[in-house]
Amino acid sequence: MELNSRIPSGPLADKWDNHKFANKLVNPANRRKFSVIVVGTGLAGASCSATLAEQGYKVKTFCIQDSPRRAHSIAAQGGINAAKNYQNDGDSIHRLFYDTIKGGDFRAREANVYRLAQVANNIIDQCVAQGVPFAREYGGTLANRSFGGAQVSRTFYARGQTGQQLLLGAYGALSRQIHSGGVTMYTRREMMDLVVVDGKARGITVRNIITGQIESHSADAVILATGGYGNVYFLSTNAMASNVTAAWRAHKKGAGFANPCFVQIHPTCIPVHGDYQSKLTLMSESLRNDGRVWVPKKVGDTRPPAQIPESERDYYLENKYPSFGNLVPRDVASRNAKEQCDANKGVGSTGLAVYLDFADAIKRDGEQTIFKKYGNLFQMYEKITDSNPMQEPMMIYPAVHYTMGGLWVDYNLMTTIPGLFAIGECNFSDHGANRLGASALMQGLADGYFVISPAIANYFGTTSIEKICEDHVEFAGSRESVNNRLQKIMRNSGRGPNGAVTVDEVHKELGKLMWDHCGMARNKEGLEAALYKLPEIRQKFWDKVYIPGSGSELNQSLERAGRVADFLEFGDIMIRDALERGESCGCHLREESQTEENEAKRDDANYSHVSVWEHKGVDQLPQMHKEELVFENVTPSQRSYK
Amino acid sequence: MSTIDLTLQIWRQKNSDSLGNFETYTLNGISTDMSFLEMLDVLNEQLTKEGKEPVAFDHDCREGICGQCGSVVNGVAHGPEKEVTLCQLHMRNFKTGDKLVIEPFRSRAFPIKRDLLVDRSAFDRIIQSGGYVSVNTGGVPDGNTIPIPSQVAELAMDAAACIGCGACVASCPNGAAMLFTSAKVSQLALLPQGDSERKKRALAMVETMDKEGFGNCTNHKACEAVCPKAISIRNIARLNREYAKAIFTEG
Amino acid sequence: MWFINFLKSSIGKKYIMATSGLLLVLFLCTHVFGNGAIYISSKAFQGYADALHSLPMLVFIFSISLLVIILAHVCIGLILFWQNREVSKSRYAVEVDIVQEKNSIAAKTMPYSGLFILLFLLVHISGFTFGPEDVPVSEHVKELFSGFFYGVFYLAGFAALALHLSHGFWSMLQTFGVNHPRFNCLIGTLTYIVPLFFLIAFAGIPLYFMTGLGANY
Repeated sequence: MELNSRIPSGPLADKWDNHKFANKLVNPANRRKFSVIVVGTGLAGASCSATLAEQGYKVKTFCIQDSPRRAHSIAAQGGINAAKNYQNDGDSIHRLFYDTIKGGDFRAREANVYRLAQVANNIIDQCVAQGVPFAREYGGTLANRSFGGAQVSRTFYARGQTGQQLLLGAYGALSRQIHSGGVTMYTRREMMDLVVVDGKARGITVRNIITGQIESHSADAVILATGGYGNVYFLSTNAMASNVTAAWRAHKKGAGFANPCFVQIHPTCIPVHGDYQSKLTLMSESLRNDGRVWVPKKVGDTRPPAQIPESERDYYLENKYPSFGNLVPRDVASRNAKEQCDANKGVGSTGLAVYLDFADAIKRDGEQTIFKKYGNLFQMYEKITDSNPMQEPMMIYPAVHYTMGGLWVDYNLMTTIPGLFAIGECNFSDHGANRLGASALMQGLADGYFVISPAIANYFGTTSIEKICEDHVEFAGSRESVNNRLQKIMRNSGRGPNGAVTVDEVHKELGKLMWDHCGMARNKEGLEAALYKLPEIRQKFWDKVYIPGSGSELNQSLERAGRVADFLEFGDIMIRDALERGESCGCHLREESQTEENEAKRDDANYSHVSVWEHKGVDQLPQMHKEELVFENVTPSQRSYK
Repeated sequence: MSTIDLTLQIWRQKNSDSLGNFETYTLNGISTDMSFLEMLDVLNEQLTKEGKEPVAFDHDCREGICGQCGSVVNGVAHGPEKEVTLCQLHMRNFKTGDKLVIEPFRSRAFPIKRDLLVDRSAFDRIIQSGGYVSVNTGGVPDGNTIPIPSQVAELAMDAAACIGCGACVASCPNGAAMLFTSAKVSQLALLPQGDSERKKRALAMVETMDKEGFGNCTNHKACEAVCPKAISIRNIARLNREYAKAIFTEG
Repeated sequence: MWFINFLKSSIGKKYIMATSGLLLVLFLCTHVFGNGAIYISSKAFQGYADALHSLPMLVFIFSISLLVIILAHVCIGLILFWQNREVSKSRYAVEVDIVQEKNSIAAKTMPYSGLFILLFLLVHISGFTFGPEDVPVSEHVKELFSGFFYGVFYLAGFAALALHLSHGFWSMLQTFGVNHPRFNCLIGTLTYIVPLFFLIAFAGIPLYFMTGLGANY
């Protein structure tokens, strides 16, 4: 597998311009001769479909939901970063670049991150022009807030629904193109396979979720915007339909998968109540601005919080990190919460939670001030847990939130399969080993609105693409393999449910394995145990899973089973990747790599690279390749929050 | 944590062509901390283990923002709690012995696909006919070029909060989609960005809305009462104004 | 063409309902003032009636316009009623009142209260407009309302009118786009005052005679 990142030459600030100039273009009149498939309609997919159709390409867009407006980008709460420096507080493109690359613990490419910071400003302009109702100052200018520990106010927001508003903006642009015929929209389709002809991505095989029909769609290029794989953990903040299938199918067809073990775990989620729980709900990180995190000092203390006197409370973040206190970065906060719970100091009915207490803030600022700041979050919490944070401390626990890893892409966002592009959370490109708050929306839209179109033009301009259609033998072969696989999943169903397992049971088992051994803190022993255990779960799935109904109709159990089957395969490279990365970095603590003070220790000498995994065949071990990361403009520094 | 026992009466329908009917299930030991959809998950696991087909229902984000979930519970879209979607409705709203009748959103414009799952693509077509500002990517002015008073941005945001779940249509005695359509028209009519197309937009979106088979609004306010995002019928009043202005002056 | 589109559209139909509704309310206002003369004396009332009949052209134009307005209101109303029944048939197994407001009953019964008012109107016109020509109208009023059932029927008609207006008045404003937090309180009050005003002003007449107060009329 050849990994050519195609980073343009020249000074960092000029690379993107140089690149755009060096790119081949496609004449406007010729664009309609090229067709593009876009899979996914989140921020990246919707914006990319709209932009390409506006330019004249013929676009076919697919989504798994009943409407393109429902992609999980919609759930992003916080905001979107841009270095507009509207607040005159010393922000600049370079600072946004630096914060992002430093936040990613120096595990991302300089050139990609710089480009992201550059186009971020255009995103804001674009979204405002679309009618996204961003928060405004009384004078009518755009409002900003400081987010995720940034020292400047550069986050644009629309209440707590920024993701929703940005997505609806992109959905509007997409709808406009659907109306004018530039985009053909296929909803309720799940991508089951990538079709590669003569080494180039030429189409996809999808399953129509309503009719169960397997359909082929061909095009001159395929863009995956299928999001992250957080649901490998079963419980995450991801939507129920978020899955790795599209990316994994592409990987099996030859696309390298980069840094699969980089998963962000968000510290402030509503804890798990019971084993019926289907998803975790995120509470905004801003809560940590005023809330104090604590657990009882005594192990196994089950008294209600009000009965635990001040002297018997352990404000562990404040004690351990006096200068940052409760505002330590996400990974530190998450890791420490898990540590406390592992030491049996966790609270709540499951013991898997820590307190986030607003009593002091209420005493200091008054009930009204605190309620004004967090009222809507408190109400949301109360709706879910039936407990009022104004009266008793909130309970929080970390949850899987975002996956930095993804399909390996070059500067053009093209994977190792020519003609296959990956954008948004689906690729690995910009966040390194950790993502800063309000950067996911920025990256999704940057890729979709601004980065992908020159890349597509360049690909079409430099590649000879034969005309083919869906009756090509590769499409028939792909349909057959998809059908075979679905039949294989259904093969136990004739025997009935006795002695069988359900899809969710297997998924939960996989999730627990990954959470226990490939979560926030990892060690060699645990990872090896997981690697040993994973095939057992996989075997159990194939031998025992029971799917009611048939494949030729709407069958939600079958849909889930297909996704879980892929997660079971994907888990393997995740664990292997975690095992290979012997350093602590970004979101993860590798227990073998710690400082004397038990803090994460990054190892630039040995791990300043992107790990890219190549699929070598069904029963073969995957092979890891390295893309060395070169830092010419920034000096990697060790983080310290003491 | 306490548990409750329930009797569920759920609409089962194999596909859009077949006739449906109610099936009754009993479900014991449901934790009151569960969400409504988690309760349905538990039912589906139970049905699967009995070798029966699980109940198909739409859902995705399970945090009340994607708008994909939604059924009518005991006659009320999204169930008895105000301003929540079905995924945010918790079982503590019910008590042991309750009988829950769970039906799909019913409307001529929302054909049932299976069980509780309906086709709401008519909403997409309403938006496609004009629910956007026609700007291409690139070539737009700086975000701060047009000042927008904070109150106007907030009003626009109130309307823009619509999640497109369809509860308004499901609850409207006439199956009208006025609240949905008016929310988008309002958002863009309030903001200066949407001004140049406001007439065309109002006409086109209302035309599509009528064509898709939604009913006529008769100002019942049922839509507002069930809207999980508390979208106000003030938006409908605004749509009426926009439409009248447009039809008497456009073209 | 645009006007036909307007009439065909759902909002257009609402505007026809609202506009004709408004005109009918305005007519009721003139009617109620004319009727007010009853309370003064039979002479005043007869004077008013005679004055009106001395202007046959005006009465004719007024009657025709009124007929057109009523026809528009009734026809569009019936079209809406049928169209909406079409959309909403076979609804939910459990029926509950989602809108927990007092006038939700009024909203739900609009077609029925409307049809009853239409029936009332027909009886009223046949009784008065096409009533006996030789009896003075002031006599005729007394005669008719002294009959118990006739009076009760009138009272029921006015009650239906009040019910109809309690939703219709607000609904009309909403259709015209009059909905603003600053005025909604005022509008809310008016939705009680307007129907109540007509109820008292109109229903007083049959009551006046039925209770025997108007025995010397």
